[in-house]
Amino acid sequence: MEVAERIMYSLLPLLTLIVPLFTGILCLFTCLFKFLEEFSRKTAKMLLLISAVLSLATPLAMIPYCVIGEVLETTGLGLRADSSNIAALVSTAILFLLVSIYNMSAEKGGRLKPGVYNFFLLLFLCCMFGLLLSYDLFGIFLFVEMVIGVSIILVAHNPIKDSTEAAFKYLIITAISALFVLIGVLTIYVLTGESNILHLLGNIEKRMILAENPPLLMFIVACFIVGLGADIGLAPFHGWLPDTLPASTIIINGFTAIEPIPLILALYRLVAPLYEIYPSSIIVALMLGTGLVSIIFGALMAYSQRDFFRMFAYCSIDEYGHSLFALSLLSPSDSQIFIIGQFYLINSTLAKTGLILSLGSVYFNTGGSNMDFLGGLLEKMNKTALSYIVCALSIIGIPPMSGFYAKLLLINASYKFFYDYGNSIIASLIIALLICIAVISCVILIRSFHKIFLGKSRVNIDVKGDVPILMWLPTILLAMATIIIGVHPDLLIRFIGYTRFG
Amino acid sequence: MEAPSLLTLVIAAFITALGCFTDITRRTIMLLSIQAIAIGSATLARCLIDLVIGLNIEALIHFFAAFAEWFSAAVVAPLILYWGVTKTENIADKPLIEARKLATLIISISILYILWILQSQMLREGRIITLSFCILMFSFSTLLMITRRDAFKILAGLNMAENSLFPLLAEIPITLVPFILTLMIFVTAMGTYVIIEAYRDHGTILVDRWRWLKE
Repeated sequence: MEVAERIMYSLLPLLTLIVPLFTGILCLFTCLFKFLEEFSRKTAKMLLLISAVLSLATPLAMIPYCVIGEVLETTGLGLRADSSNIAALVSTAILFLLVSIYNMSAEKGGRLKPGVYNFFLLLFLCCMFGLLLSYDLFGIFLFVEMVIGVSIILVAHNPIKDSTEAAFKYLIITAISALFVLIGVLTIYVLTGESNILHLLGNIEKRMILAENPPLLMFIVACFIVGLGADIGLAPFHGWLPDTLPASTIIINGFTAIEPIPLILALYRLVAPLYEIYPSSIIVALMLGTGLVSIIFGALMAYSQRDFFRMFAYCSIDEYGHSLFALSLLSPSDSQIFIIGQFYLINSTLAKTGLILSLGSVYFNTGGSNMDFLGGLLEKMNKTALSYIVCALSIIGIPPMSGFYAKLLLINASYKFFYDYGNSIIASLIIALLICIAVISCVILIRSFHKIFLGKSRVNIDVKGDVPILMWLPTILLAMATIIIGVHPDLLIRFIGYTRFG
Repeated sequence: MEAPSLLTLVIAAFITALGCFTDITRRTIMLLSIQAIAIGSATLARCLIDLVIGLNIEALIHFFAAFAEWFSAAVVAPLILYWGVTKTENIADKPLIEARKLATLIISISILYILWILQSQMLREGRIITLSFCILMFSFSTLLMITRRDAFKILAGLNMAENSLFPLLAEIPITLVPFILTLMIFVTAMGTYVIIEAYRDHGTILVDRWRWLKE
């Protein structure tokens, strides 16, 4: 009985992928036959919502096992759910569900048929789950490429001229970057003959092959950082990001805001084992450097933007930089860094999703994204304004929002790391830099709130009221979540554990 | 490293470099196909010899895997691009960099790689020489992509970059081959779809004109 139960639970990670994929294929079938077209058109949004609810069920079912330290592993496929990825899995599923609710009122159709659109969205969710669960190098590569591929199709879904140009740019940059990931993966595989990260670290002979060849190991790390850095949108590989946000539909912006959780954790999962094999400061410097460049570049570029989607794109680069920076404070002895990094990443994604959905609501009602022509929307869009300011304050790091606790943990860990591996002056300078960036973010986001919601509009905007309930409800829920996690950070932290590689 | 394999890699690298100079879209696609044929031929020939000598199921599976890789890179992907060109336009545009400068750049990159191969201690192993050839072809393909304005030539360059990794893909577990191939065809098909949609919107496949028309 116990063996049967164990086998059943080991299939849960696989089931997590199958549920969205299967429901997605069902949605696809509804638009393949002419007699089902009308049914597909009418029920598409509801089908997506039901699929999102079903897709949340499996990660929720795995929580009780993962929290007590059990590992649910589908052997052979390299899929594994444990305390290191369960929080990210559940967050991804919840955020997807909230954006699906938003989709009910916001989706107005585009280049893709409703069934095909649903299929790609659910495939996107399936690939994000796969990326979080996979410990196989080829699995990670396949899921990265699929996540990006589907995002490109979804960007092109918007029936405006800019979307195809943005999608093409996105395709070329990320397709080249995917090849860098493939080069890194193939180099490891060709040298060691192993593709499972955990098996690779468990085998001393295979570890030695990599450890004895430091230049090649650095080359692999560089390939992973360049490859996944471009997919995530980290500076200086971010070229596609500021163009795709204004060119996508407001819902797709919401869905793609979730993407960094699996992508940044995938980058960590690829680089951290290599650091464990060969703990070189160059690896840490490469990761930290990319993080710092993104933080500074994102914050400075966001300042000068007039289009709120472009401003958000640069704020996102800044936040990705923060998340990578937190996860890059690699140390052979400190397991807390992974927990802090993941906590920061989830919080940041939570607030960013709330922010982009609020901005989407503004775009939905006004039809414009130029902040110079907006203003005075507070009275008519008070719920959207409330969710926007709460999420913005969380990103800035104002208490009692969750962002405050995340930033506090990050600053604390950064000081400790730079004090241990450098000196007190370097540590103080890094902290000063992080605080300066937080101040710049504060100026940018408060100014954007002022421009959009306060004062008076320069042009006559006809806004009758706030957006429909299905659009403001998810944003309010996200704002509430940032406050609740801010007051009780333990609610999230206790779900994040650390699995030592090898 | 076997001489025939090395020779095919050299030929493939030369064809990739040649791709940087073509002016007509269809010719670039043709070169893409020839590059894939050159890259895959050595592996395919080896698998065929194994099959003829061994006559076992394992050799047959390996042959089919190699053939699928070769066929998708040399036939399927170029055909998708060719179909895209028939749906849009077959244009002639010169590289953004002058031909002489481009040639100097390609020769410099090649010399640097040869020096790297000769100098580096870690590159004695045959498999790593393959890796360095892959990187060389990858560099030429990237050069092709960044010096072009025609969206289909850029996409053909991307395919050439993907093909350049095929010698390494021969080493991956056989069960992964269908997934990798499907993914690569998916990327080509998606790119073609995006270009066709962009052509409908803008009336041209020149990427700089997309931006210009918008402004």
